[in-house]
Amino acid sequence: MDSDYLKNKHILLVDDEQELLDMVVSILKEEGFFNISAAKNRKEALSLASASKPDLAILDVMLPDGNGYQLMEQLRQDNEYPILFLTAHGEDEDKFKGFGLGADDYVVKPFLPKELIFRIMAILRRSYKEENPLVKLCDSEIDFDCAEVIKNGEHISLTAKEHDILAALYRNANRIVTIDALCEAAWGDNPFGYENSLMAHIRRIREKIETNPSRPVSLITVKGLGYKLMIK
Amino acid sequence: MKSIPKLIRRYVSILLLSCILLFALNFILLAAFASRQTPNSSPWKTAEEAADALQQVNGSEYSLPEPIAHELKSSDAWAIFIDEETKQVKWQTANLPKSIPLSYTLSDIASLTRGYIDGYPTFTGKAENGLIVLGYPKDKFWKHMWPSWDYYTIARLPKLVLLVLAANAAFIFLIYMVANSKLLKSIRPIVTGIQNLPSGKPVYVNEKGLLSELAFHINRTSEILQSQNNQLQKKETARANWIAGVSHDIRTPLSMVMGYAGQLAEDTDLTDEKRQKAAVIVKQSKRMRNLINDLNLASKLEYNMQPINTKKENIIAIVRQIVVDYINMDIDDRHPLEWETDESLTLCPVTADKNLIKRAISNLIQNSINHNEQGCKIYVKVAVNNKKCSIIVSDDGIGATDEQIEKLNHAPHYMVCDENVTEQRHGLGLLIVKQIAAAHNGTTIVEHSPYGGFSVKIILPIQE
Repeated sequence: MDSDYLKNKHILLVDDEQELLDMVVSILKEEGFFNISAAKNRKEALSLASASKPDLAILDVMLPDGNGYQLMEQLRQDNEYPILFLTAHGEDEDKFKGFGLGADDYVVKPFLPKELIFRIMAILRRSYKEENPLVKLCDSEIDFDCAEVIKNGEHISLTAKEHDILAALYRNANRIVTIDALCEAAWGDNPFGYENSLMAHIRRIREKIETNPSRPVSLITVKGLGYKLMIK
Repeated sequence: MKSIPKLIRRYVSILLLSCILLFALNFILLAAFASRQTPNSSPWKTAEEAADALQQVNGSEYSLPEPIAHELKSSDAWAIFIDEETKQVKWQTANLPKSIPLSYTLSDIASLTRGYIDGYPTFTGKAENGLIVLGYPKDKFWKHMWPSWDYYTIARLPKLVLLVLAANAAFIFLIYMVANSKLLKSIRPIVTGIQNLPSGKPVYVNEKGLLSELAFHINRTSEILQSQNNQLQKKETARANWIAGVSHDIRTPLSMVMGYAGQLAEDTDLTDEKRQKAAVIVKQSKRMRNLINDLNLASKLEYNMQPINTKKENIIAIVRQIVVDYINMDIDDRHPLEWETDESLTLCPVTADKNLIKRAISNLIQNSINHNEQGCKIYVKVAVNNKKCSIIVSDDGIGATDEQIEKLNHAPHYMVCDENVTEQRHGLGLLIVKQIAAAHNGTTIVEHSPYGGFSVKIILPIQE
C-alpha cells in the first residue's frame, strides 16, 4: 500500500523520559517521518500543540505535571485528531480507560519499532484518507466513497452490506480477517449465526470484483478462518 | 440449619418412647403387685371359706373350726351368721362390736353385702341355711359400692385407652416444646453463627440469654479469623503490588533496549553478523517482556486480584481471531498454524473473560513456538463434547516424556508451592493457562499430541 502521503504528518510526542523520546524520534525518522515535535511534560506539549496543530499525538500516561488522559482532553478541546497512548501500564483497566476517553490505540512498553510503526500507520491511514482513494485490486478498483466497483471501465454499485464487508477487509488489506469480525462489521455486535449470509455476500462481492469469481484472486478464502483482500 | 429439626425429632421420639416404656413398666409392676396380693388376703375368699367351714353342733349351736377362727382373730375381724328364715343373728364371734345389730331386714342384707355395717367393711359368704358376714376393722378396706359398667363403655375401652395415650403424648410434646422453645431460640443464632464462620464473613451473635458464653466465644473466633484474613489479604496485596511495581518499572528501560536493538537488527548499513547480534538482543528482550507480563498476571490471578469480567462469548470466534492474528503477524514460516475445528461447528457459547481466554490460548501457541525452534506445525481445534467446550492446541514438535507430562499435570508450579525449588519447573505460561481455566471453572489437560508432539486441552463448561 502506498502510504507516503502520510509521512509529512505532524506528530506530537510526549514522554517524561528524554532517552525514550530520543528513541521514538529516531524510530519515526528512520521510517521517513520528519515533522515531529517532542515534549517532556504537559505544559510543553500544550504550547507545542498550540503553535502547530499536530495530526497525531503519542502520549505517555504518566507525566510529571499530570496524566496523559487529562492532556488528551485538553489537546482535543480545539481540534479533533487521533491519539495513541504509550504506557508502562499493561493492565486492561487502563486500556479500557484510555479507549473510553476516546484514545485511538494503546501501545504497552516495551515495544518493537515495527510494532509502533504498524500502529501509527494504521491510525494515520484510518484518519487521513488519500484524495480519491481508489483501491486497486488485481482485476478491478474499489471506490469506497461512491460505494462502487470499477471493472473493465464498468461501474458496478455495492450494497451497504457489501461495502461494510469490503471496508473491513480493506482496513486489514493483505491480512486474514475472521468470519466473526466480518459478521460484526456487517451486522453489529453478537453476530451469531450469520455465517451463511456472509458466504452469500462474499459470493456476490466476488462476482463484482473478480474476473473469474469461481477462481478468486483478490478476495481469497482461508478455510475455516476467514477471508483476505489482496490489493496491489 | 437442617440439623435442628432433626434434633427436635430425635428428642421428642426418645421422650415419647420413654413415656410408653414407663407406662408399660408401671402396668406390669401393678399387675405383679395385685396378683401377689389376691390369693391370701381377699376378704371375700375368707368369707367363703368361713361359710363353708361353719359347722352346726347340737342342733342350734354353731362353731368355727380353729384355723379359720384364728385367721379372723389375727386380722381383727368379727363374724356373724344370719339365719335364712328369721333374719336373726344365730351365731357370732366373741369380738363383735356392740353397735352391730342382731336382726336384719332384706334391704339391710343387700346394703351390707355391697358396703358396710356401721362403718365396718363387711364381706359375705353363703353358708347352709344362712349367710356368714365378716366385718373387718374400719380402716382395713375400702369398698367400691356400685361396681357396674355398661357394655358400651367396655367395648370402647381399647379406643379410649389409645385416645388417652395420644392425648398424653400430645400433652408431653406440648410441655417439651414450651420448655425447649426458649433453648432452641438461643441455640439457633449460635448454630447460624458457627455455620457462617467458614464463609469468611464477619459473624456476630447476640451475647444474651442462656448461651451467652458460647456466643461470646463465637464472636471472638470470628474476630480472630477476620484479622487473620485481613493480614493475609494485606500480605498478598503487597506481594502482588510489588510484582506489579517491578514489572512496571522494568518496562521503560526495556523499551529502550528493545527499540534500539530492533532498529539495529533492521539496519542495512551493518554487517549481517552485527545485525544477527542485535536480533538476539531483540529476541531475548521479547522473552523478558513476556516474562514480565506473565509474572504480573500470574501473581494477580494467584492472589485473586485480577478482575474477571465475564460475559457470554463465542469461544470459536475468540480462538479464530488469535489464530488469524498469529498467521497475520507472519513471524516466520517455521511455525505454520492449522485450523482443525469442524466447519459445521460455528457457535460455542461460554461465559468467559475474553482477554483472559485470549491470553491463555496465545500462551499455548507461543509455548509451542518457543519449545520448537527448529519449527513445527501447530494445530488449533475447538470441539464440543457433553456440554463441555475443549480448546486444543497441539504440535508435531519435540513433545515431552511421560514423566514430564505427569509433572506438568500434577506438580504445582514453583510460584505457588511451598517447598524448596531444587529442580527446574515449567515456565509461567502454562501456570497462567491453568489459572485462567480454573477461573472459568474449567480444567487443563497436558498430553501427548496425536501429531507426535505436545498437546494442551482447556475444557470449559458451555453456557446453555
